[in-house]
Amino acid sequence: MKHNVLPLMLATAAALFLGACEKEITVEVPATEPRLVVEGTIEPGSPPIVILTRTQSYFAPTDLNAFTQLFVKNATVTVSNGLVTVTLDMVCSSLLSDEQLLLVAQATGLDPQLLASADICIYSTTNPAIFGQEGGVYDLHVEAEGHTLTSTTTIVPAVPLDSLWFSLIDQDGSDGDDSTGFLWARSTDPTATDNFYRVMTRRLNLGTDGLAQDPTFAAPLGSTSNDEFFNGQAIEFIIARGNSSFSDPDDRGSTFLRGDTVAVKLISIDKATYDFYRSYENNVATQGDLFTQPANVRSNISGGLGVWAGLHAFTDTLVCEP
Amino acid sequence: MRFHLLTAFLFGFTAVTAQDRFTLSGYVKDASSGEALIGAGVYLPEIQKGTSTNAYGFYSLTLERGTYTVNTSYLGYGDRSMSVELTADKVIHIELQPRAIIAQEVTITGKDGRENTESTDMGRAELDVQQVKLLPALLGEVDLLKTLQYLPGVKSNGEGNAGFYVRGGGPDQNLILLDEATVYNASHLFGFFSVFNADAVRNIELIKGGIPAMYGGRVSSVLDISMKEGNDKTYHAQGGIGLISSRLTVEGPIARERASFLLSGRRTYIDVLTKPFIPDSSAFAGSGYYFYDVNAKVNYRLNDRDRLYLSGYFGRDVFTFANSDPDAPTFRIPWGNATVSARWNHVFGPKLFMNTTATFSDYRFEFKADQELFAFKLFSGIKDLGLKVDLSHYASVRHTLKYGGQYIHHTYTPSTVEARSGNTTFDILAPSLLIAHEGALYVQDEFDLTDEVRINAGLRLTGFAHVGPFDEYLIDDRGERTGTRSYPGGKTVGSYMALEPRLSARYRINERSSVKTSFNRGQQYVHLASFSSIALPTDVWIPASREVKPLIGTQYAAGYFRNFLDDMVETSVEVYYKDLRNLVEYAEGAEPQGNGNANFYTQLVFGDGYSYGAELFVKKATGKLNGWVGYTWSKTMRIFPDINGGREFPSRWDRRHDLSVVAVYELNKRWNFAGTFVYATGQATTLPVNRYFVEGNLVSEYTERNGFRMAPYHRLDLAVTLNNKEQRKVKDKATGEVTYRMRRWRSSWTLSVYNVYNRANPYFIYFDNEGNVADGSLRVVAKQVSLFSILPSITWNFKF
Repeated sequence: MKHNVLPLMLATAAALFLGACEKEITVEVPATEPRLVVEGTIEPGSPPIVILTRTQSYFAPTDLNAFTQLFVKNATVTVSNGLVTVTLDMVCSSLLSDEQLLLVAQATGLDPQLLASADICIYSTTNPAIFGQEGGVYDLHVEAEGHTLTSTTTIVPAVPLDSLWFSLIDQDGSDGDDSTGFLWARSTDPTATDNFYRVMTRRLNLGTDGLAQDPTFAAPLGSTSNDEFFNGQAIEFIIARGNSSFSDPDDRGSTFLRGDTVAVKLISIDKATYDFYRSYENNVATQGDLFTQPANVRSNISGGLGVWAGLHAFTDTLVCEP
Repeated sequence: MRFHLLTAFLFGFTAVTAQDRFTLSGYVKDASSGEALIGAGVYLPEIQKGTSTNAYGFYSLTLERGTYTVNTSYLGYGDRSMSVELTADKVIHIELQPRAIIAQEVTITGKDGRENTESTDMGRAELDVQQVKLLPALLGEVDLLKTLQYLPGVKSNGEGNAGFYVRGGGPDQNLILLDEATVYNASHLFGFFSVFNADAVRNIELIKGGIPAMYGGRVSSVLDISMKEGNDKTYHAQGGIGLISSRLTVEGPIARERASFLLSGRRTYIDVLTKPFIPDSSAFAGSGYYFYDVNAKVNYRLNDRDRLYLSGYFGRDVFTFANSDPDAPTFRIPWGNATVSARWNHVFGPKLFMNTTATFSDYRFEFKADQELFAFKLFSGIKDLGLKVDLSHYASVRHTLKYGGQYIHHTYTPSTVEARSGNTTFDILAPSLLIAHEGALYVQDEFDLTDEVRINAGLRLTGFAHVGPFDEYLIDDRGERTGTRSYPGGKTVGSYMALEPRLSARYRINERSSVKTSFNRGQQYVHLASFSSIALPTDVWIPASREVKPLIGTQYAAGYFRNFLDDMVETSVEVYYKDLRNLVEYAEGAEPQGNGNANFYTQLVFGDGYSYGAELFVKKATGKLNGWVGYTWSKTMRIFPDINGGREFPSRWDRRHDLSVVAVYELNKRWNFAGTFVYATGQATTLPVNRYFVEGNLVSEYTERNGFRMAPYHRLDLAVTLNNKEQRKVKDKATGEVTYRMRRWRSSWTLSVYNVYNRANPYFIYFDNEGNVADGSLRVVAKQVSLFSILPSITWNFKF
């Protein structure tokens, strides 16, 4: 995340001293065949979950109907752990109860209201023979709309969080803010292996509607890291608040408030999964950024886009009190 | 040809001197300041032969016994003609009067009107610094590099980019020499201005094709800039006050006509100007940006045969972002160049001239961020120590041999990161300093094969070695580190050697026209890798090593040169084809801090490129109306197996059409008008074609690298300069007689208008999205950012 600071500074300098101006223009985008995008995960003790969507032209309509049309139905999705091969079932939101919708939302990260308002289908199974296990290697195979997509992922061992604490930004009280703060964590990185991490948070405080403030776990942009600079060290780091992109962001950025109850996941992933999330976050964060060379997301799916991710989370919860 | 070259090698010193031949040699100087004139033409009309002075103003002509007319000329100076009876070796120092101070009635012909068709030079251009000062400039900052971009075959990347691109080569492929020391980053303020202060520059020459063997290390061009030596007769000062910066230069004799000095400084005051608008109570008090540079030079003439020069440049850009809130981060980003060169000229005899130069170059970039909870520091840089010896042997008027050698010790810091978060200091291993040796030996021979055919043939032998101490991390197929291989100090990590042939030839059709052709191959042992689509100080210099092959550039060119109207109008048509191997780019999605101190080449990918084009040039160097028109048609492509799916793609500086018009009209001694116009095909850029969603975020899918074209770039700039009166009235009190005397104090106002018709030229284009996809409020738009609207500026200059 830090490297984004420099471009910001340069852009500020340019704008401040030279008065750049900006206007909307029309750009003709060539039409290409849509490709399929996988968002698939598998975690220990849980079934594989696969969301299958399509790419669309950059300036295609942006209404809700157009969005829901992106979800691919009637695909044949199989997952194999080397012993058994299981074909996943298509689960469509129009057939689910409200409670089931909430469970699907939490499992997929999809917005519960979106699931309720449109018929969105995903792929999963109740067959425990294919539930994730630490050390497991999982092959994914997708057949849909004439495309064949394949991938492999691994569930690596989780790395524990040693402790979590909350620290006010305004340490000396000079700004008169006694509630906004950063969530800090300490963890000990294993020496023997190269480790790849992703961090997600979810505020569990109940809102007025009786639901948790964040409907699902969400990852902030810049949630992905590796241990290149701290292999084998005990490290302290700030955990930024994940903002579900389906909810309206507030202006408090990556901070938490005194009294927030925060669930934190430190997720261990393999390198290919890391490469995807890292490049995906950069792709999203650098849109319109002059100072970076545009780059496609590095996918681990052959024949398509997206990710097939083995996740192994260590979860801890903190009530924010300085 | 091969045989002739061999003869030259073997008998270089002795073979050509016959008893009835004598040598006329000496220096050509500015009559008012004693400054050496570089590249002044010395021409003998009786035998239709001539020479030009070298980088120190020295010339040598070996001729048969006889009486000759010697015509000497130099751009911006009055011609001088004299008759010389050559019955023994003769040393004649020739002084030329600057055009500005000679009487109107003296006729002034073009300088090297003849050079255009006579020499073997191709793709070579010189700028007249005095003329450049009359041209309109952005915010009134006279910019030599920006003016170079008006020449055919030289392109800018639009505004905000002082990097220049010669015949499809990248900005790192230009050898930029300031008094023979390498300048690695020639730009200030993220590329809006160049580092060369025009007040301190004597001569600026660009070679974009047929690069002679005496130059090496870069494959696309040589930009040779000579600083002024300082007036060795009287003290002078000049300077200027502009919208964003002020300049002051002082020069004068240390010992009259033996030693002189020059000291020149420039500083911007944007920070001072913006300060009143940032109250001290503001959280951001103390934030600002400025740059400054200093040029200094002294020279000492020991005797007629020996001369010493010491010159230096130091410049820094400093950007600070302060915040009074102790909890908020502060930033400091300094970067800049320093160069020093020490030179010794020695004339062994009238025919043999030697120059020895010791150089030091340093370029550094730092980025420091500090906050209570974290700190981050990034450093990259390059430091060179070099020694070079060049000898010129003027065997005869038909034959000049040059040879020499060079050694450079390089120290590179590709990118070093230090970081702290809370109580954790990140494990950043040892800073990855890279040490390398570079050496070269060359010989080049310029001779007349017949009266019509002149040949310049050369060979350059170059070598480069990246040596220890160096720790190489062993990486497996999955990209994971498995161990370290250590190279002790001095042990070679990777080394290269190459023989670089250079050849150019001229065939004279008649007195006014000639055909020329050239071939040159060169190796470049350093690459500039850029993360962004514009040149930034964050770009990192990466040396060749075992895994990073040197860049190999080969260029073929041919041209037709013709003069009109008594050499007043010079024209040329040149075509070229350039082949580039082992170009370097960052891999798609590489991050500046991504591999920190791991192997410096890990994030790089390698590929090739080519460029071809045709250039038309019409120049009128003299007269009330002077200037030039340049047009280039070209195509520049890149092929990288790991970029764009291995498909060929246009380079960022691929421009199909590029037109420049530069005109100066000298109405009279007081009023000058100047205008420039440029038109160029839109820049190639990469934009997404498709979108998809992950975790509800819009993800861009790019298909073709540089697959889009921005709108064409065109702009008209105008300037008008008003000089104070050249003479002042003096009334004799006794007699009441009125006489006119030349003023010593000269001043001028320059009003410059940038982008006269207020064209919104695209700087970059991006796609933006806002709103939420789940509730249908998502909006996707394309936006174009332009930098400069119409921008007038005024500058006051003085001189005494």
